[in-house]
Amino acid sequence: MIQYVARRVGTSIVLLFFSSIVIFCLMRVIPGDPTITKLGGSIQGVDPRALQAIRHQLGLDQSIPEQYVHWLGGIVHGDFGRSYYSQFPVTTLITERIGATAELAICALVIALGIAIPAATLGTIWRNRFFDALLSGFTAIGLATPAFVSGILLIVVFGVKLGWLPTQGYVSFEAHPLESLKGVLLPAITLSIVVAAPVLRVLRASLIDVESASYTRTAAGKGLVRWQVVLRHVLPNAAIPALTTIGIVIGGLLGGAVITEYVFARPGLGTLMVDSVYQRDYGVLQALVLLAAAAFILSSLVVDLLYGVIDPRLRLRVRGEAR
Amino acid sequence: MSEQTPILDVRDLHVEFPLPGGTITPVRGVSFTLDPRQRLGIVGESGSGKSLTALSLMRLLSPPGRIGGGEVLLDGQDLTKLSEREMARVRGGKLALVYQDPMSSLNPVQTIGRQIVEAIRTHEDVSRRAARDRAIDLLGEVGLPQPAKRFDSYPHQFSGGMRQRVMIAMAISAGPDVLIADEPTTALDVTTQARIIDLLGRLVDEHDMAVILITHDLGVAASFCDDVHVMYAGRIVEKSSSEPLFHQPVHPYTEALLNAICRLDFDVTKPIAAIPGQPPAPQAIPEGCPFHPRCPYAFQKCTGDVPGVTVLPNGREAECHLAADRAGAVVA
Amino acid sequence: MTTVAEPLIQARPRRRLRFLSQLARRPSAAIAAVVFAAIVFCVVFAGVVAPYSPNSFDYSHLYATPSWAHPFGTDELGRDLLSRVMYGGRTTLEIAAFAVLVAMGGGAIWGFTAAYMRGWVDEILMRVADLTLGMPVILLALVLVAAFGSSTASLVLILGILFMPATARLARAALLSELETDYYLAAISVGTPPWLIMLRELLPNTGPILIARASLVAAEAIFVEASLSFVGLGVQPPAASWGTLLQKGYSNLYQSYWYPVFPGLVILVAVLSLNTLGDHLQRVFDPAKR
Repeated sequence: MIQYVARRVGTSIVLLFFSSIVIFCLMRVIPGDPTITKLGGSIQGVDPRALQAIRHQLGLDQSIPEQYVHWLGGIVHGDFGRSYYSQFPVTTLITERIGATAELAICALVIALGIAIPAATLGTIWRNRFFDALLSGFTAIGLATPAFVSGILLIVVFGVKLGWLPTQGYVSFEAHPLESLKGVLLPAITLSIVVAAPVLRVLRASLIDVESASYTRTAAGKGLVRWQVVLRHVLPNAAIPALTTIGIVIGGLLGGAVITEYVFARPGLGTLMVDSVYQRDYGVLQALVLLAAAAFILSSLVVDLLYGVIDPRLRLRVRGEAR
Repeated sequence: MSEQTPILDVRDLHVEFPLPGGTITPVRGVSFTLDPRQRLGIVGESGSGKSLTALSLMRLLSPPGRIGGGEVLLDGQDLTKLSEREMARVRGGKLALVYQDPMSSLNPVQTIGRQIVEAIRTHEDVSRRAARDRAIDLLGEVGLPQPAKRFDSYPHQFSGGMRQRVMIAMAISAGPDVLIADEPTTALDVTTQARIIDLLGRLVDEHDMAVILITHDLGVAASFCDDVHVMYAGRIVEKSSSEPLFHQPVHPYTEALLNAICRLDFDVTKPIAAIPGQPPAPQAIPEGCPFHPRCPYAFQKCTGDVPGVTVLPNGREAECHLAADRAGAVVA
Repeated sequence: MTTVAEPLIQARPRRRLRFLSQLARRPSAAIAAVVFAAIVFCVVFAGVVAPYSPNSFDYSHLYATPSWAHPFGTDELGRDLLSRVMYGGRTTLEIAAFAVLVAMGGGAIWGFTAAYMRGWVDEILMRVADLTLGMPVILLALVLVAAFGSSTASLVLILGILFMPATARLARAALLSELETDYYLAAISVGTPPWLIMLRELLPNTGPILIARASLVAAEAIFVEASLSFVGLGVQPPAASWGTLLQKGYSNLYQSYWYPVFPGLVILVAVLSLNTLGDHLQRVFDPAKR
């Protein structure tokens, strides 16, 4: 078991390292000199020495490998470099904004799972055609609705017309918990739709698959009532293949968060990313992309480890006890 | 057959599948009785409807399948009229089913011990400790070595034969009156088959159960069962106690089945006496006697009139226009 | 017992007409097809169908709520939104269509090459394709926009590149299964030159699967274009697309909350109908998905 964990963790670290190289090189390779952008788009008539000074300031006069080592070294110490645009330390920018994004992501995840899992399970227990059609419809619409569409609709209904909830800004949770939650509710619902739809679809498919397995019939044959069969036998087995959705979930959260934060004018990492693209601020952009990559790799690591723990067939094989 | 009150009385059972193309009825009026402690065999080819009959007794048919008519009286109670909740109490408790594919009939992510305990505690209010002890005893009874240790093992750690033993243990754990075994040995090798059948026999005697053994293996039916019913195209075409059936079959289908069995003293130069044609699909059951296209004795009447049940001496029954004649020729 | 002489090599059934009969069986797919066709019609023939010119100002009717005269309302300059949505659709659908061509074409070449060559060529090509697996499309899109800018050509290229890897995988799988078939082996053994086999047999048979996929790619392309334009990184003014209209609507939300609703709904309906159609086509043509 330890070996399995160690191996997976090791692979993840290597992958992360590799990603950082790819990201770094990508930022250097793509056309567009950040110095030019910083100067406002044109280098006509600019004193070459000023140009050189800016280059030096941004660290662009070093060779690429040197720049990379410098960058990586900084990261290991928690220093993500500086924004090309504002010269603020990127680390500061990130820590300022991560709270908003984290709160949004966590709330969205809770709502999404809170909707998807019970809905799929009830659908299996009841086996009602009408309810199933409803679920399919919801899934289809959820998958097709971009976050900004649902976000705007929610703003229009709850913010503008009814005026119940705030539609922009951010109040930190530590400062004012209740206000904070009120502020995160609409964006979280918006984002949760993005996540709930694919999870619902995969889970429902998985449940249907497991339903037709022989052991479901055995469970019923023992005298278990429908909800017992589903909860104790169908759901645990269906959850295993559905674990793969965690990857989709994380992806959806990351991508959807960007749009959602923009729609609700929430000062989080998503809006930071959009801004940094506007400004061609590679200093910030490369740090954010690295963070995103890290989030992926971490989530796939978690999924692998979860598989090893939950499925006894894997667990024992890993431990070497299986026949 | 004896004069006891039957513990199970199936009357004119129909199983149907309403499909978009039309309703098909794979079980078309099956009637039989089962006495306490009786060992009944139901034999037939694939597609004869025997497994569906078993599932319908337990009301475990997957939708769109459903019971289309008839009654199933267990100890006087009509199972077809029970609510789902009431039926759940019967399943496992008074009526239990052992399935034919032990490889996939156990929940792979739960220990077998837990699954047996669940079966016990569904029908009896006992503590987990007591249930666990009972389960371990049962595992020992079905012949599992080191039952206490095996209690915490997972299904994939067992071979097919052992898994089937676990299934049997689970099925009898709540002390049912009737045990239905649907082709319990089909998926197993021959030696294991024999052992499982022996086990069944022993358990049935010790636990005072009646057994319905569903199989397409005539040899197993012959050795294990007191009485045998032969199914064809959704109906029971012959009922008899086992020895007379195998020595002097009345229904031509039974005769053909027996003739098709290969024996060691066969003349290998002659072709095997396989039954020509195929069993009819439920949507395409021939007019008159369903067996007539394949029957060597068929005559004009068979193509038009459905044969009714002919009651013969010694409690035998057969659905054939020639039954009386053939029985007359047969009985010494 | 009768035996039927089986042909040594099964002729490959033509699947083209099957989908029409299947369409009739699934009303949702038929409705989706009709709806999307209607949208395309309105967009393509906007010059004829649109009630107003998209640029005609009407200062007396700013931010009008939906009415018979202006079913979608008007914008901050009094322009009819219905007409603007129709004309704006041209930009969106144009970009989406070309992006699909790039994605399917590039993806097909990528995947077919991998499937045909096998060996280490296959390995490398597929490893590269897997790199982007699972990553949220929006993030990748943002990065690529930072790199390549937001001109129409760039957007087409970016969207095309985004969807190429998944298409490549599909194309590879489709070709691989074709290469296993008896009729392919027969054609080879008879001596038919590979390019002829490709043209006559392989392409027509992998075609349907790819076309089914194209519908889904188109839906995603519309989705991503709208997202990018919404945050200001896609289509740039004065050009208008559904995404930019939505953006404007969002900025003017407090003046007229109807403004963003219709562009948003149009995007939703377009994506939904393409998704439904694509799902249906996939079910018909791709045996693995059934």
